[in-house]
Amino acid sequence: MNIVVVVRQVPDLIEPLEIAESGTSLDFDEVSFLVNETDDHALEQALLLKEAGGGTVTVVALDCGEVDDTLYTAAAKGADKIVKIPVEDELRPPAPPAAAALFAEAVKGLQADLVLVGSSAHDELEGMLAPLLALKLQLPYVGVIRGVRAGDGSVTAFKEFPGAVMAKMNVKLPAVLGILAADQPPRYVPVSRIKAATKSTEFEEVEVAAAAAPGVTVQRMYHPAAGERAEMLEGSEEEVAAKIAEILVEKGILK
Amino acid sequence: MESFARPLCWNVPHWAEVTLYAMIPPVVILFLIGLWWRIRKWRLGMPEPGDGKILATVVTRLKGLLSFARLKEFVTTTFFQWRLSRDSFATLMHLAIFWGMAVLFVGTALATLDQDFTSLLFDFQFLQGNVYRLYELALDGFGVVLILGVTLAVYRRYAARPERLKAAVTGISKWDTFPFLAILLLIAVTGFVAEGLRIAEGFHLQQQLQASADRSVEEKVQLIEELGVERKALFVGEERHEAELRRMAEQTNVFPAAAWAPVGYGLGKVFAPLSLGSIRTLHQLTWWLHALLAFAFILCVPFTKAWHLVSSPINILLRPVRPVGRLSVAVEAGAAQIGDLTWRQLLQIDSCTWCGKCQEVCPSHATGFALSPRSVVQKLDRVMIRAAANGAGGSEEPDETHRIHGDVIAADELWACVTCRACEDVCPVCIEQPQLVIDMRRHLIDQGEIDEGLQDALMNVQRYGNSFGQSGRKRAQWTKSLETAVKDANKEEVEYLWFVGDYASYDQRAQEPTRATARVFQQLGLDFGILDAKEQNAGNDVRRVGEEGLFELVQEKNCKVLEKARFQKIVTTDPHTYNTLKNEYTGNGSESPMDGRPIVHYTELFDQLLREGRLRPARMLDYRVTYHDPCYLGRYNGIYDAPRNVLKALGVKLVEMPRNRQNSFCCGAGGGRIWMKDVPGIEERPAEVRIREALELPDVGYFVVACPKDLAMFQDAVKTVGAEDRLRVVDLGELVFEAIGIREEVKV
Ligand code: SF4
Ligand code: SF4
Repeated sequence: MNIVVVVRQVPDLIEPLEIAESGTSLDFDEVSFLVNETDDHALEQALLLKEAGGGTVTVVALDCGEVDDTLYTAAAKGADKIVKIPVEDELRPPAPPAAAALFAEAVKGLQADLVLVGSSAHDELEGMLAPLLALKLQLPYVGVIRGVRAGDGSVTAFKEFPGAVMAKMNVKLPAVLGILAADQPPRYVPVSRIKAATKSTEFEEVEVAAAAAPGVTVQRMYHPAAGERAEMLEGSEEEVAAKIAEILVEKGILK
Repeated sequence: MESFARPLCWNVPHWAEVTLYAMIPPVVILFLIGLWWRIRKWRLGMPEPGDGKILATVVTRLKGLLSFARLKEFVTTTFFQWRLSRDSFATLMHLAIFWGMAVLFVGTALATLDQDFTSLLFDFQFLQGNVYRLYELALDGFGVVLILGVTLAVYRRYAARPERLKAAVTGISKWDTFPFLAILLLIAVTGFVAEGLRIAEGFHLQQQLQASADRSVEEKVQLIEELGVERKALFVGEERHEAELRRMAEQTNVFPAAAWAPVGYGLGKVFAPLSLGSIRTLHQLTWWLHALLAFAFILCVPFTKAWHLVSSPINILLRPVRPVGRLSVAVEAGAAQIGDLTWRQLLQIDSCTWCGKCQEVCPSHATGFALSPRSVVQKLDRVMIRAAANGAGGSEEPDETHRIHGDVIAADELWACVTCRACEDVCPVCIEQPQLVIDMRRHLIDQGEIDEGLQDALMNVQRYGNSFGQSGRKRAQWTKSLETAVKDANKEEVEYLWFVGDYASYDQRAQEPTRATARVFQQLGLDFGILDAKEQNAGNDVRRVGEEGLFELVQEKNCKVLEKARFQKIVTTDPHTYNTLKNEYTGNGSESPMDGRPIVHYTELFDQLLREGRLRPARMLDYRVTYHDPCYLGRYNGIYDAPRNVLKALGVKLVEMPRNRQNSFCCGAGGGRIWMKDVPGIEERPAEVRIREALELPDVGYFVVACPKDLAMFQDAVKTVGAEDRLRVVDLGELVFEAIGIREEVKV
């Protein structure tokens, strides 16, 4: 089975995000990136499928947002092939529709039996990328998957619904799956293996035509002001904790 | 000079003597086979980093003995067993057996020399006259010592049975030690009995001589010969034999040294009533028994626990020269199978006496974790035996029998270790259990088999340079509320570079003590600075969980930053950071920015400032305190006095816990355990056990620590045992801060 995993970089939220001077985007000079968590699960799921039933794992990523470290890590984990798609601006990831178009072009040439993509990303909570990609590839799609088992010409996917309901589905291949969580959390890969992969891994580059502009433009990007009905507690963590305790006592929740 | 000498092969027929000599070659051959069997086990291992192959190492170490310190260590450890000294019963027992055996062995060797060398070649015996008297006295005395020692051992092992000897050891029966002890005991006993019987025969002869006192010397000599005293020993000249018989006849004294062997003499009196014939038969029987037991003992050496007679000294001799705080790396991906350990590690495993001392002091074992350092060593030994039998390592592909993970040594066991070094410190034969554990952990890391908490911590260190997963920019946030700003050592030259470490920087509980220490430094006008966001986790614990690659990464990053900074010395409050900076950032072959620049722990610095008169307490603190020795400061780096000196200078009354200094009991945080999730089924954590130990001390209100991790662990533990109102966990820096009068009372 040829499994293709689509991997995206997202801004690391450990530092407060800054708005660029233009006021219409993040200040990408100040952003540090890391792999999107559900994409990491998608990769883990792909590796688990490969370990269980053989096949190859190809990782596809856009060449932006410090993606190399993530790709070397993927190689260290056991990805067989890494495909990088050059983009115009190496700092700024394209919006989901444009990204979907780029990914679709690249995936077309890979004879994928199964395409795994993270269900959503924290800079793309609506989770558009995976379904858009399926649409462009003309493949069946199902998202919010928690675990996949390989079958013959198909896979069994477990989908989660609200209210503690799970569905077990049979998905005919080829197909695109949006992964929320792999069968087991992504495993640790030691630095020495990443180092070795950094030396030995060659990325394949696939040039694809840039996608048309999305019909949406950002007019203004800003930090929302504190709402009037909310009281922001300020100070050190200890002071904040003390204030919270005070309020709880005041409201009679704590004595 | 009296002309009596040690009787040679008294009452032993020629055929017996010849048979005895004939038995030597097979015994030697069997012994050599045993020896080869042992060496074959070590040969499974990798070369020792920095040392190389077995033979080369032996040569360099023997040369090393030329240094007084090494020699002294070797002699005190092997001949006087000072490593047992914390257990006086064990010391007594062991010294008694050792010295008993040693003197009897030397005695036997001298007898052989006397009989088969000087007597045979030069017709001369040096064991004669007073020399022989002293010889008899010494052998008798030490024979008694040996019997006492063995009795103590049997008593302890099979009657008193302390916990450590009770617990089952993998693959070893409780009676495993018994044959060895029994043989030792019987050797001594048969030796005495044979001696007693010989002396009893002497009494008989003397009686006969006395009865014929009026006869001439020639007649008496004839009488003795008629009584059956022949020239038995193969190598005694006829002349000397004649002279000896004459002497007996003249002096009416068969064995003039008999009274110098008090035990033999006493037994002689006991046996004297027997008939001469029975005495002679019994004597020959015991003589044989004694000889056969001696052979049995020799064969015991390579094949039983007695092997440690050979392996322990070798192991101690070959001890690495690196500091104990520096880990070695033979295989970066860790030990996946037995042959991935080094030959020296295998030799160590081979010298284990399964005494269980390591298990007795292991904090993880004591609190119910699935770990016993002894079992780890013993399980590896089982594997080694099977693997060696299956063909030595080297080029051959290792098979199932070489496996050391999974159902041999489970991941749980390995992760339970806090790398506190208590086991290594107490092991009488210098086995380095933590290094074994860490080598095996490296393999688990390589396979990604790790606990979730640990995984988070490692990814955080990898990504953010700290285990807290916080932004590097927040590293110096603790300085924000200081009245005086702290210098940035990246930009300004400083005398002391303060390498703060993750816990002291980021941990909420530790920040206040960190500030207290900073304020003390500032008050004393110490010229110091920090690396701010450029500091990375120093990697001590990263290395000890087995993530060697990540350790190298942070080390490299830190070294780059240290290279640019201008400073003379490094100070830190964190013993873990201290250990790796001091022992692992330098001396690893490549050049290091640390080279030649001292690194001090803040307790050492305070101690030094006190001595220089720069640190002067403004008031004496009238607290009763106890002090907890951090593993990485104490057992790893031998710093026990500096913190105590400081406490003394502050005026506090230090009440020691029962387990102090090198016996200190780990807080449970080391070796990366602080990052790992709690293990279910643990009734009481090590830190809680430790707090209870302190609570036993009368009127002690303060539990002083000198490690930011300790602070976190023990403050939690005080809460969980519900002793917050009785015991305050304070950092040494806070007490100093209070004593120099910046603040009225220490706030906890
Ligand atoms: S490892 Fe050392 S302390 Fe532990 S049982 Fe063996 S000899 Fe004794
Ligand atoms: S280092 Fe400490 S925790 Fe680890 S095995 Fe030895 S005594 Fe036990």
